[in-house]
Amino acid sequence: MSNATLQRARPEGRAPAPEQEKPRRRRTTWWLLLAPILAFDVVLFLSPLGKLVGSSFTGNAYQRVLEDPLVVRSLINTLSISLASTVVTVVLGYVIALVLWRSGTVTRVILFAVVLLPFWTGILVKNFAWAVLLQDNGIVNSFLQTVGLTDAPIELLHNRLAVIIGMVHCLLPYAVFPIFSSLTSIDDRLALAARSLGAKEASIFRRIILPLSTPGISAAGLLVFIISTGFFITPVVMGGPGDMMIANQIDYYARQLTDFSGAAALAVILTVLVSILVAIYQRVLKAGGQHADN
Amino acid sequence: MQTTNPRQRLLTLLSIPVFLFLVVPTAIVVPVALNDSRYITFPPEGISFAAVAGFFADKAWTSALTASLQSAAIAVVIGVILGATAAIGLHGRKFPGQQAVVGLILAPMIVPTVVLALAFYQFFISLGVLGSILPIGLAHAVIATPYVYLTTRASLAGLNPALVNSAQSLGAGWLSVFRHVYLPVILPGLVSGALFAFSVSIDETVMSLFMQSPSATTLPVKMFTDIQFNLTPKIAVSSALLVTVATLGLLFQVMFVLKRRSTARMLPLAVSAPN
Repeated sequence: MSNATLQRARPEGRAPAPEQEKPRRRRTTWWLLLAPILAFDVVLFLSPLGKLVGSSFTGNAYQRVLEDPLVVRSLINTLSISLASTVVTVVLGYVIALVLWRSGTVTRVILFAVVLLPFWTGILVKNFAWAVLLQDNGIVNSFLQTVGLTDAPIELLHNRLAVIIGMVHCLLPYAVFPIFSSLTSIDDRLALAARSLGAKEASIFRRIILPLSTPGISAAGLLVFIISTGFFITPVVMGGPGDMMIANQIDYYARQLTDFSGAAALAVILTVLVSILVAIYQRVLKAGGQHADN
Repeated sequence: MQTTNPRQRLLTLLSIPVFLFLVVPTAIVVPVALNDSRYITFPPEGISFAAVAGFFADKAWTSALTASLQSAAIAVVIGVILGATAAIGLHGRKFPGQQAVVGLILAPMIVPTVVLALAFYQFFISLGVLGSILPIGLAHAVIATPYVYLTTRASLAGLNPALVNSAQSLGAGWLSVFRHVYLPVILPGLVSGALFAFSVSIDETVMSLFMQSPSATTLPVKMFTDIQFNLTPKIAVSSALLVTVATLGLLFQVMFVLKRRSTARMLPLAVSAPN
């Protein structure tokens, strides 16, 4: 069909372009196609970021923020909350990835949808749902009282555990996919061979599947950690005053203290940290032989 | 792969709480919004549309909804145009500096949103244009464009660049090459990318929060502001709306994947930070 249409589309009475002209014409088209996105990103992405970096070098900003005990506190919080969330996320993500890997086509599609629904849902909606579940008269508290574990509602919200729960829930899909893709690249015959040689399922898992999926585990871990470090909403909605992370500190400097150079310095620190981790992440993906989509 | 040995059953058993952990919070949102009570409770005490009616009668919330839809429209239109032209422009090409170009296109996915939020806040203040929905929409377009680029690129993967050459040597102009060669191939990727862009914009909170003004407060910003004081039925209705949008997006994605029989296409995620 396309052949006929294409021939018809040729303007009548115009000879095709001479041979030598074609490559040049194609090259022009190609630059024109890239021009819009490059112009857009230079004006609306690179220049705001450049301005930000520039303002971070004014007024002794780096020294000032790093001497602020609140900043130091938030940096420590960022690292410890991110680390805890990452560990929990990767473990739970591994369980999900294993089930996905082991299930048949139909189950797999359904379970994939289950994993992807929270991914499509905004972070605020998910945190709101957790706040409903964990509030004083929420279902978790009434369950604990019915079972007799507690007599009165306990404060499940506004603490670090709640922040980690909320973050793990958002991060889980990001851990599942790298692990799942490293599991699918394992040759099925390895397990079959081991089984025929008398290996128990436990040792097949420990000695074949787990080692061969380590690239997926490290990719998942890094990706999840990278995303964790930038969390802003969950610490506010689900955490207490002592759980503020670096992103919240940036907000505090910018909108409460209106100290833009201080906020910019913190933002640069966060970006540098994330960039280093992204570089390592891409190394890991390459080493693991996974085709990275980026 | 369907062997049901005890270990397999143990794995299934172990995974049930994890799947519940994943699904339950999203699943309760709609019932909570339809709860027949002035308070936020789960399980609901009865079905009522009072909260929904209350939401749509409250001007603060409806204008937040309008603002969100406006910013999403800006993000989708710009994202689709820029993402598609970039993917077509780079398709089947090798040139020095290509990696840098691709890196620049994808970079907005990697920078933490709070950093971008601060950068845009400073940038648009210095231009004196803060106070309308336009800068928020533009900011959303910056982070939505890489998604459209990735989904379009994925759908172009099967197109042989030689096809374009032969179309051109047969005399097809660029418009007809686009319509008859590129468009049929990239259409699923474009639609999928547009959905991603819409979803990114409609859920984006941090940048919109920094750039908010009385005349430009998006739905997530209104939710975020209210949620810190109280859990109200209107927040629940707003959440339910967003979950419905998410479910529709996901359903489309699943249908698209089932049709194409490739799970890889589901995930042009790369490194993308929700927050």
